[in-house]
Amino acid sequence: MASVQPKIKSKVRCVDGEIGEIVHVIADPISLEVSHIVVRANGTQRQVPVATIAAVRDDSVELLCNAAQVSGFPEHKPEDFLTSKQVEIPHLENKVHVEPGDLLVPFPVLEKSCARRNFFTGFIHVIGALIGLPLVWPVLRFIMAPMYAPYDNRWIKIGNISKIKTEDVGVQFIFKKSFKDSVLQREEDKNHWVVKATPETLKKVYPQGDISFTDEKGEVIWVNKQTIPYVAFAGKCPHLGCGFKWRTHKKLGQVFLCPCHLSIYDNSGKVLDGPAPRPLDVLPIKVSATGEIEIIDVEYKSGKKELVRIA
Amino acid sequence: MMPLLQKVYDFVDERIDLKTLEAKMMKEPIKGGSRWAYVFGSVLLFIFIMQAVTGVLLMFYYIPSADHAYASTQFIIHEVDYGWFILSYHFWGSSAMVVMVFAHMSQVFLWGAYKSPREMIWLVGLALFGIVMAFGFTGYLLPWDQRAYWATTVGVEIMDKTPVVGDFMARFLKGGPTPGQMTLSRFFVIHVMVLPGALMGLAGLHLFLFRSAGPAGPFRGTPEELKAKTDFFFPRQVWKDIVAMAAVFLTISSLALIEPVVLLEEAKPDPGDYHPEPEWYFLFLFQLLRWKIFSGELGQFLGATAIPAAFMLLLAALPFIDRGPERNIFKRPIALLSWTVVMIGILVLTVSAIINREFLD
Repeated sequence: MASVQPKIKSKVRCVDGEIGEIVHVIADPISLEVSHIVVRANGTQRQVPVATIAAVRDDSVELLCNAAQVSGFPEHKPEDFLTSKQVEIPHLENKVHVEPGDLLVPFPVLEKSCARRNFFTGFIHVIGALIGLPLVWPVLRFIMAPMYAPYDNRWIKIGNISKIKTEDVGVQFIFKKSFKDSVLQREEDKNHWVVKATPETLKKVYPQGDISFTDEKGEVIWVNKQTIPYVAFAGKCPHLGCGFKWRTHKKLGQVFLCPCHLSIYDNSGKVLDGPAPRPLDVLPIKVSATGEIEIIDVEYKSGKKELVRIA
Repeated sequence: MMPLLQKVYDFVDERIDLKTLEAKMMKEPIKGGSRWAYVFGSVLLFIFIMQAVTGVLLMFYYIPSADHAYASTQFIIHEVDYGWFILSYHFWGSSAMVVMVFAHMSQVFLWGAYKSPREMIWLVGLALFGIVMAFGFTGYLLPWDQRAYWATTVGVEIMDKTPVVGDFMARFLKGGPTPGQMTLSRFFVIHVMVLPGALMGLAGLHLFLFRSAGPAGPFRGTPEELKAKTDFFFPRQVWKDIVAMAAVFLTISSLALIEPVVLLEEAKPDPGDYHPEPEWYFLFLFQLLRWKIFSGELGQFLGATAIPAAFMLLLAALPFIDRGPERNIFKRPIALLSWTVVMIGILVLTVSAIINREFLD
């Protein structure tokens, strides 16, 4: 059976004559059917149960009762109701054909006088925080786990000095470096540059004398003597970490040139041109009696004026 | 409609009010009428869906490990039927995405469509722009060839130069002090889980905000003229959108056919003869860093982080600074001039980065 569909502003007639018009329609939120009409009669709004309706016509509604009985129905209290716009009741507006603002549903009693609303709001946030907060630290540590790995201070053989034929010239040494990368045992091609320096070049490499290298605790692990003519430069450009080359430059002659951002260094690692903030990085080096070159694969943060060791 | 289909439709409609939903989706009046200028947003959605589809397909074969990433990508290209096409489509699709984002943002900027009451759409749009760039950056590493490795190395080093948080951010992305397996794992999970989630959420919000505020419409014309030309999103705008999508699909497919992805050597810390370079849409930034004024620690931070960040902040503040109601771009000389200068700037920097390649060998 189609539910009753009274319209707003319809005239309301009792058995003994017209008494007023419909100003609101009240729906039952469970059955989604009209339960009452709100009739304004003599300046008072009264809730008339839908069972009292005899017939719904185009512009009027006829009631089964008389005017006196209507005045016996309870007065409409707006604070006890919500418009259908203020709540979410699926399908309600499809079932009851009244403008959403004029369609009323009862304000649930438990909600209307929810004395502890603030308590509930606070409680919800506290419980949410209690779930979330304990996770912050473990999650952060979980993500950060590999970020600050200890330095690798192993000596690695990179080749033999017999490869170097000329003094003050950059010679590339490509070598395999095997290491543990999380659970993988990996081997990577790396490259560093070695210059057999003349005394003049050595002076430029070691302007402050010997260079010492330290571990995380700041303890010295090696000292490069300024008298040793072999100088190893890390293959990573101190600008932004690209790989530089030994190239002939039109004006500057033979130089180290980084193709990324065009930083240029001389054979002592000094910056001649380009955006590099510091000279090429000198590595700990030792040369054995048979001419085997060994280095520690020290890595500094690129783009900084000062040396900040990261690996 | 076929009787069975009609039954299914009615079944769904009864439960979720499909008719209203359909009306809300399709019957949005476009004041001033549908236009070709409005296709960019829909085209972006289309490109994203295709990136998601091709991306999921690639994951059927790709192995995100430093030992196997390169080999599995080569396997996709050389062994898997149509693998070369799926991969190349995904590759060119990412470029198409960036091009379309620029087109979309330019259109909104020139039409003055970021102005009140559409500020929030613009802000979410900027976040989406950032996500698209992050997609490009993280995806670039995954093939694990020299190009991938070096673009990432330099990109992360640039981030490292941000004061205070830079070191943490760089280590966070690299998963350690130097690039390796942890870097690949992180980029992979960011590329295939974090960013798609963020993009879907924000794109949904972007659309919701757009539908709430309504389209801005043309910047010229009286209300009567606009009303006279008004049509619904469906069918005329949808028709234009689908034509544009087809054109983009054909373009990406052609590029994939003509220039399929070819990997360089496997990634290693020795660049060999390769001159590291980022993807073309980052070239202007790359070239900027070659300038003398952006050398040194401070210069680098300015060029790589501060200026781009300031530019993004300026874009974010735009609807709040530029509060004039005038939307006609020909009556907003500063806006027109700024747009032209930025576009020419990016173009000149990109071209000079390309020209610079010749001098490097």
